Amino acid sequence: MAFIKKTTSPTINDGQHTPEVRDCQTLLTQLSSTDASERRTAARELVGCPDCANGLMERLKIETEISVREVILTTLTRLGDPVSIAGMVECLRSEDAALRNEVVEAMKLLPQEVAPMMLGLLADEDPDVRIFTVNVLESLCHPDVEAWLIQVISNDDHVNVCATAVDLLGEVGSVDAIGPLEQLKARFVNEPYIQFAANLALSRINEN
Amino acid sequence: MKRILIVDDAATVRMYHRNILESAGYSVDEALNGIEAIEKALQESFDLYIVDVNMPKLDGYGFLRELRGENISQVPAIMVSTEAEANDQVAAFKAGANGYLVKPVKPEQLLTHVRLLIGETV
Repeated sequence: MAFIKKTTSPTINDGQHTPEVRDCQTLLTQLSSTDASERRTAARELVGCPDCANGLMERLKIETEISVREVILTTLTRLGDPVSIAGMVECLRSEDAALRNEVVEAMKLLPQEVAPMMLGLLADEDPDVRIFTVNVLESLCHPDVEAWLIQVISNDDHVNVCATAVDLLGEVGSVDAIGPLEQLKARFVNEPYIQFAANLALSRINEN
Repeated sequence: MKRILIVDDAATVRMYHRNILESAGYSVDEALNGIEAIEKALQESFDLYIVDVNMPKLDGYGFLRELRGENISQVPAIMVSTEAEANDQVAAFKAGANGYLVKPVKPEQLLTHVRLLIGETV
């Protein structure tokens, strides 16, 4: 995903220099600069500052310059601490579609960090958050992904959450998914998309 | 034959829509995100766009804003989304959509919208 690139440019956290606390405060202040290039630089260099995730998250919520958002998310991804992860989860609830999509792509890069939160997010009361969580699973490369997807299609009442999970099960599903897919078809017998997607997933699983 | 571009990052959704549209006699092309769709819109002409909201790189709103704002194309576009709330639909129309469908879309729903916007008999 082009937005969330691991930067190859040198940063002050590349083992050459760790910023002083004083520098970190300066960088956090610089995040509010009117100059986008200064904000971008600050966001990049904050990767060397522990406890800066809250400041980055606050900026992310109001930042309109896409290149700065990219760098903030890259930094949060590289920090990967609980505050960064929790902040990204909060962004899944944003009304800003672009931000949600950028966060989904960032979370995909953190399989170990976000895995413990997946069950909670898949049970979130907001179906949109559950859909975005299934989207995160797409590239998570975690051994429990199939089990989580089977749980979704077996228990979730929301057709679009199930539809998103079925799409992915067609790619990662094994024979363990056959029974739950048949049950899903029976549960949503009047939904042509579910019938189509489940049949496609079943044929792919049977081919393999 | 009328040409329709499906813009969606989900392969199964693209396949589902393609099957419905081709069965009804339309020619279909696909793009995986807004950036790819802009590139196709600059190179080829289409009679209609069917656009998902949530996509990586450039989402559906961004695609439509660029399509309309840069005057790349003014042909009709249907936004397709899992989000059913009124403000989502308003946002889609403000971005440049001419129709809005909530997923999962039923075949007759899709074809009715397509025919209406292309100017064919419903």
